[in-house]
Amino acid sequence: MLPLTRRAALATAAAAQAALASRAPAQTPAAAALPAPAPIPADRPLFGARLWTLPNGLRVAHVRTRGAPVVAHYLFYGVGAGDDPAGKSGLAHFLEHMMFKGSAHVADGEFSRRVAREGGQDNAFTSRDVTAYHQTVEATRLALVASMEADRLRAPLYPEATVEPERAVVLEERRQRTDSSPRARFREAFDAAMWGRQHWRGRPIIGWEEEIRALTRDDMLEFHRRWYTPANAVLVVAGAVDEEALRRVVESEYAGAEGAPATPRRRANPPPAPLEGRLVRNDPGVREAQMLRAWIAPTQTWGRDEADRAHGLPLEVLAHLLGGGPGSRLHRTLVEGGLAVGAGSGYDSDELGASSFGIFATPRGDTAPAKVEAAVEDEIARLLDAGVTAEEVARSQRQLTAGAFLSLDGLGAAPRLLGSALAIGLPADAVEHWPAQIRAVTPDAVMAAARAVFTHPSMTGWLLPEGTRAP
Amino acid sequence: MSGTIPSGFTLPVQVVEAAGVTAWLAEDHAVPVISLSFSIPGGASLDPEGREGAAALAAALLTEGAGDLTAPAFQDALRDAAISISFSADRDEFSGSFRCLTDALPEAARLARLALSAPRMEGPDIERVRARAIAGARQALESPRGQAGRVFWSTALPGPFGHPPGGTAETIAALPAEVLRGVPARQFRRGGLLIAASGAITASNLRDLMETLFGDWLAEAPAALPALPPFSARGVQVVGMDSPQSSAVFGQPGLAVDDPDWEAAGVVMRVLGGGGFSSRLMNAVRVERGLAYGIGAGPEPVAGRSLIVGSVATENARMAETISVLRGEWARMAASGPTEAEREEAIAYLTGSQPLSFTSTRQIAGILLALQRNNRPLDWLANRPARLAALSRDRLAGVAARLLRPGDLAVTVAGRPVGL
Repeated sequence: MLPLTRRAALATAAAAQAALASRAPAQTPAAAALPAPAPIPADRPLFGARLWTLPNGLRVAHVRTRGAPVVAHYLFYGVGAGDDPAGKSGLAHFLEHMMFKGSAHVADGEFSRRVAREGGQDNAFTSRDVTAYHQTVEATRLALVASMEADRLRAPLYPEATVEPERAVVLEERRQRTDSSPRARFREAFDAAMWGRQHWRGRPIIGWEEEIRALTRDDMLEFHRRWYTPANAVLVVAGAVDEEALRRVVESEYAGAEGAPATPRRRANPPPAPLEGRLVRNDPGVREAQMLRAWIAPTQTWGRDEADRAHGLPLEVLAHLLGGGPGSRLHRTLVEGGLAVGAGSGYDSDELGASSFGIFATPRGDTAPAKVEAAVEDEIARLLDAGVTAEEVARSQRQLTAGAFLSLDGLGAAPRLLGSALAIGLPADAVEHWPAQIRAVTPDAVMAAARAVFTHPSMTGWLLPEGTRAP
Repeated sequence: MSGTIPSGFTLPVQVVEAAGVTAWLAEDHAVPVISLSFSIPGGASLDPEGREGAAALAAALLTEGAGDLTAPAFQDALRDAAISISFSADRDEFSGSFRCLTDALPEAARLARLALSAPRMEGPDIERVRARAIAGARQALESPRGQAGRVFWSTALPGPFGHPPGGTAETIAALPAEVLRGVPARQFRRGGLLIAASGAITASNLRDLMETLFGDWLAEAPAALPALPPFSARGVQVVGMDSPQSSAVFGQPGLAVDDPDWEAAGVVMRVLGGGGFSSRLMNAVRVERGLAYGIGAGPEPVAGRSLIVGSVATENARMAETISVLRGEWARMAASGPTEAEREEAIAYLTGSQPLSFTSTRQIAGILLALQRNNRPLDWLANRPARLAALSRDRLAGVAARLLRPGDLAVTVAGRPVGL
């Protein structure tokens, strides 16, 4: 039920051999006795997923793992909060909640109860780009969860009486996540000010409160009919199941589902520039100030032109080089320099439509906000002026990709990464060979991407305690 | 659906001895990853009065420069090889963990050893990490959940176990550098050290690793923990703050982890407030009344005993109703225990979900460490399904009556609740 945004999984879990090969072996005598095995070949696909498509359009990805007799079963729909109809924000997310309220052969509440009764765990999440339903079960329970999932793909059948209590739950979820957190309230207001309150990128995933209140059961059924079709879905199964056995389960549970061909997704272009240049809010609930700055940025799926779309991966390298933790430029200047307790940047290229490249900073102690903002501006100016060094780019590529194979440790990363990519139209290679693609980025490409983003207008936001002056 | 779940699925565990200490190892070469976790009794509970947060801040400083590596150089070395090493001070223990790919193990061992034996803790690094910790402590109080949790714990366990383990903005600001530098010597002892490892590492390599990390530690017993006070929270306590939603943390005393009723209490709590959608609290509060996004409650072990702790958040106008529903469910379970159907479902879940705990090296190392912390034998998990199956409804009803005390259920609410 969590409206999670994707990714970050790889950034934190991303393995790299170049780094290790160039590193001196351990100096500690006892540690030196530990043999280092041969590195994993750098060009090996991350998960080695097998892919196929059913006649009804359902795409299937299978990752066979060794280890515990457990499977993870994820059904991704290529629809998310970014596809909510105008004036009906929160619809994708509300429908996700209602999908647990019953279908033709599964009674209200029975889905999760059955899964638990069989020792499994289940949940779902909605992002801007996808809605996903997932269960983790002991391997012999795969057919059970597939059959219940396919049942609610065919048609939801939730009783009218379940809508109002669940609307109250969604409103409490909104209060818990957003309304009772000054930082979340500010971030929501920032997005709305930058993109527009009704732009798909400027609306909260959970929806505006007044629009959540107005959503109807018919809205949900219509949304389901339009988007919840096999041709618009991606099934990812990872774990202790052979391909042959999985093919049998998929054939018997999903092949009979019918639906219209996939609906094209239309994501409106971003405004030419952020709608507002500045948002300052003094909030009595805030104890620590925060600065945000964001630029409209291209992704692997959207750009102002062909050249713009190529900036996605270079921007990921840039985000690390500029603000990816200790050793990055912003961290050195602001955090090691004593101006901020935290500073960094955020960007994901694997999203549908336009996105943003963001910078954040939290001033240290009584440091004047103006000083922090000036230091951020100096760093951007220095970047555009003097460029990046080959060493910096190589270091970022090394650190971004060093942990890629750590994502084999556990059953969550493969379905989440593959499902999210395939459901927004990216090829599986965007996941399987992500590390090699990052390593292929050149310093020139990083600078071209930096200029493509940072020479456009940005938006700056300050969240401040009461009484603190904005810069 | 056919077939039963292979009951009691567990990985074979080896007991590995080196450096005068014992580790539990679940060796598995399916993926090229190694996780190791360790803990020592102590943690925040050993912070002197007025020095709360010392152990936690020192733990954070261990990876901010060590040996010949400055803070940025140490962090770069970790990230160049995707090694994660972290240390923390919890209420009753100091713990550490690392995870890496197999080819990075020698480097991970070198860095972890440096962090444990030669942290630099230089002035500017202390001030930088201190500033971050102060900001974190202050931000934690911006939400009603943070306020309610803070006040609940300090009321329930007055003294060293009830403080926020990371300290408060005021105590962190006042920590002298020499107190921080003294933390490793105060905490690190091989007596009481628990170690668990999982993944692509052999017993022989683990022995080398244990020598590298812990071989130089003093063999003596860890510093004695302070006495755990009796559970002291009573009734409903309101922390006023402006927020559209109130957040409640509630609890009562729990059982000792070595209590013969521990697992039966786990079944009772699964039915009353366990995870997912099947618990009575979730059903009464969320599904039937739409009062909250979620509600749950379960045991939180502290120093060999435990508290039952739960939380829920709802709009200010409905907190009184939510607490009344909560108390009603608490009393109903205390009075008659789970039904036979609930007993069966809860045990089916607890048994059937056991394999799900063995899908990542970090999770496995965590489980093996928890088993040692609770003094369980090696075959604890293998025999758990049989023990659970033997718990009758009458036994569970008896345990529910013994465990749950509706009159003693204390609630701390932060927000502007109406009618409390």
